[in-house]
Amino acid sequence: MSYFILLPIVFPVLSGIFLLVRGEMKSRKNLLAVTGGLLVITALLAVLALAFGRGEMLLLFDLTQTLPVLFKIDDMGMVFAVVAVLVFVCAGFFSFEYMKHEAHERRYYGFYLIVFGILMALCFAGNLVTFYLFFEILTLSSMTLVLHSGSKEAVMAGLKYLFYSLCGAYMVLFGFYFLSHYANTLSFSEGSVLNPDLTAGHTGLLCAAAFAMILGFSVKAGMFPMHAWLTAAHPAAPAPASAVLSAVIVKAGVLGIIRVVYYLFGASFLRDGWVQRVWMVLALVTIFMGSLLAYREPVLKKRLAYSTVSQVSYILYGLAVMDGDALAGGVLHVICHSLVKAVLFLCAGALIYRTGKTRVDELRGVGKEMPCLMWCYTIAALGLIGIPPTGGFISKWYLAAGSLSSGIPGFSWIGPAVLLVSALLTAGYLLPIAICGFLPGDDFDYGKLVKKEPGGLMLAPILLLTVLSVLIGLFPNAVLDFIRQFSAGIL
Amino acid sequence: MKESMMLMVILLPVAAGILVPLLPFKKRKHMEIFLETMVVLNSLLVWGVLLEFPEEAFTLTKFTGNLTISFKVDGMSMVFAGLISALWPFATLYAFEYMAKEEREKTFFAFYTMTYGVTLGIALAGNMLTMYFFYELLTLVTVPLVMHTLSREAILASRKYLYYSLGGAAFAFISLIFITIYGTTTDFIFGGVLDPEKIGGRTNALLLVYVMAFVGFGVKAAICPFNSWLPQAGVAPTPVTALLHAVAVVKSGAFAILRLTFFSFGTEFLKGTWAQSVVMALTMFTIVYGCSRAVKETHLKRRLAYSTISNLSYILFGATLMTPLGMAGALSHMVFHAVMKIASFFCAGAVIHQTDRQYVHELNGLGYKMPCVFGIFTLSSLGLMGVPGLAGFISKWNLASAAVESGNPLACGGIACLLVSALLTAIYMLTIVVRAFFPGKDFDDSGVCGIKDPSWKMLLPLFVFSIFIVVFGLYSAPFVKFFQDVANGLH
Repeated sequence: MSYFILLPIVFPVLSGIFLLVRGEMKSRKNLLAVTGGLLVITALLAVLALAFGRGEMLLLFDLTQTLPVLFKIDDMGMVFAVVAVLVFVCAGFFSFEYMKHEAHERRYYGFYLIVFGILMALCFAGNLVTFYLFFEILTLSSMTLVLHSGSKEAVMAGLKYLFYSLCGAYMVLFGFYFLSHYANTLSFSEGSVLNPDLTAGHTGLLCAAAFAMILGFSVKAGMFPMHAWLTAAHPAAPAPASAVLSAVIVKAGVLGIIRVVYYLFGASFLRDGWVQRVWMVLALVTIFMGSLLAYREPVLKKRLAYSTVSQVSYILYGLAVMDGDALAGGVLHVICHSLVKAVLFLCAGALIYRTGKTRVDELRGVGKEMPCLMWCYTIAALGLIGIPPTGGFISKWYLAAGSLSSGIPGFSWIGPAVLLVSALLTAGYLLPIAICGFLPGDDFDYGKLVKKEPGGLMLAPILLLTVLSVLIGLFPNAVLDFIRQFSAGIL
Repeated sequence: MKESMMLMVILLPVAAGILVPLLPFKKRKHMEIFLETMVVLNSLLVWGVLLEFPEEAFTLTKFTGNLTISFKVDGMSMVFAGLISALWPFATLYAFEYMAKEEREKTFFAFYTMTYGVTLGIALAGNMLTMYFFYELLTLVTVPLVMHTLSREAILASRKYLYYSLGGAAFAFISLIFITIYGTTTDFIFGGVLDPEKIGGRTNALLLVYVMAFVGFGVKAAICPFNSWLPQAGVAPTPVTALLHAVAVVKSGAFAILRLTFFSFGTEFLKGTWAQSVVMALTMFTIVYGCSRAVKETHLKRRLAYSTISNLSYILFGATLMTPLGMAGALSHMVFHAVMKIASFFCAGAVIHQTDRQYVHELNGLGYKMPCVFGIFTLSSLGLMGVPGLAGFISKWNLASAAVESGNPLACGGIACLLVSALLTAIYMLTIVVRAFFPGKDFDDSGVCGIKDPSWKMLLPLFVFSIFIVVFGLYSAPFVKFFQDVANGLH
């Protein structure tokens, strides 16, 4: 049995619990050394699992006769796992410097590691039961990151996050109950698991179940109408935690939807039905609305959170089209958006850490004070807008191309149009910060400027992620071929 | 000999209870040892009876005709008696510590122990009359326990409890008469005892009697609109609220309804009739109503009492599905909810015992002072919410999949009610947890200093229950298998 694929799940969870229950360490340095070591080991274990575990399956035990806990590393899960490891490690090292000005560091790192492990479990989950199990635990454990600062605002945001997410989880459960009755198996498998003999005559009921599940998982992905928690919760967390929440934890919802649509119900079951149409409308509304709200938002971290709302729905739109190109574009956007959004949130964190400024209009001239950081910010912003040669361009290109070639009446051209408008708005809400940062204007007092470039521990993770986001734009073919190869099997 | 053992386990606790005020104990410790020995001994005897159960019924006395007092062990009584006898020794242990602060201990323990025997009487009753007899007796022996503090509030609560219970029993009595007339026997026989020839054209009258009896027994199971006695009865000492008003008394009501539905009227007679729809709608309403009231309630024990109201209707909902799977779901929730709710009540009691705090808003920051109690409270909250891996998920899973399988459209609405209630459960339980562990940034520590976890007598039951919550959640297959066998009439 291939128990080694459990290591990147069990190890970080246990080490997180160890950090939580252990008393205070002698010094902050020890804590950081231990946490850093644990993070690196987890990453190595994950790499090990991904390198040797492809296609491995592991049946752990049965909850009841019909509910096995099953892990399996398939190609889709691998994409999400790689992204999660990258972002978690980078944001983790970033926290070492950033968390200096926050209290309860040990608790933070403990839960950070637990969330890491749970997210890996989600990527490796081999059936719906396992996925659901860890989905709920993910909500509960990541809530503590939102609550971390303990301010009234953070507690309210944390509770909002919790209740929205649970509401989503219960919608999933609603569909789950019905699905389990009409399906042959709940293991994720290419194509449909529905039992044609049982489903005959119950298509309406199953469509409702599928819709409930899509809507339920979309809560985590921040899709309209269940997006309100995201813009409260993500900014309330400490910056590195916001980066993790916004970059990879929302993707857990995306992965859930992929699993439900492409690995359980099957694209052929939902294609051209009302579920697909409503889903597309919701995704497009979210794309536009998220960008628009981001454009109006003056607080930087909140603006980035609204941006997440919009950008994740790009992915959801790609999934909803159910076309080869659009699906590939969607999965590629998972990677691009995760890298870029992590960079943006970490930059925002570095800005807060070094200057204490949270509002966009206070950031004039920061480019002169910390040029390196702001260059990373600018490159990431270009990536999110979708300007070549960044990864965002490639993924959006495929999203639009897929939408156009899908031939769905109306949507095939409305979709790309909304994507373009939203891209314009994205430029509108991200670039002014860079422009004012580097070119504060004539009336700016240059004498006040001080060098504030953050230290290497903060800058290095940001740089690494920025470089990766550029590389994926320059050489997308390797990744894209991989994605197209396995996505051909599930359409 | 084997048969008379059944009478023995009922009489032993009653005798022990009567002896408590009569025996001249020199020290409190002696009374504790005496009581604990008796209770443990009785539990062992009960397990002996259940494992080596006699096939034959044991008839004590015979009134006119076929009215007899008789006892019999079948699958249902194994579940209920097993549950009661497993919980009672722990609850007694807990009560020793809790009652140390209260007055009139001996009276309390006398009635508390007598209740054990009476509840077993309900579990082991072999026919309707016997069950009715012990059902009335249960009301009478528990009234002094509700009244215990003798405060005005307690006297009012106990009066209400008395009137409600006796009123309900009167309705149940009507069904006893009808079954004597229209049934072949009053014994409990799986599948029902009604004689179609005798019924003739009086189907509707009998259905009305069923609904009346359902509501009548439902008074003890706190079905809406007859639920208001339960939160009021929360003035009783916590061992009473935890064991009697979350398990023994209220579940006697649910047990009686299961007997009534599956063993007297029979599902064949009831299924698909208007009576089924009426009682199912009633339980569905109670499920949501109880949870909503719990969210609104700020008194900790009353909040848990409202939660009990909702959860009892889960059990009744399973019963109203009138399928073997529904009954299996009902039985599993009966057992699993018992463990989870008694754990959360004991936590509440521990808080009251250690701090004298009764209201939710007074619990800020206690999580770090009483880590064991609040850790277990969190676990039981997650269990009640139905997080996978804990007991609540399994029983809800059984109930919901039974509802799907029954194909009854109203039952689909019932699933929605279950999930709404799960969300509300999360709201009313986790707000307490968040308060306890994340009191907020500017929380003043001085108010809670010196508070600590209670002694082992309180913690041991809590730990045992929390182990069971996890075990039932992860390894439920044998238990669920047993419940299904019982529900199929195999035991």
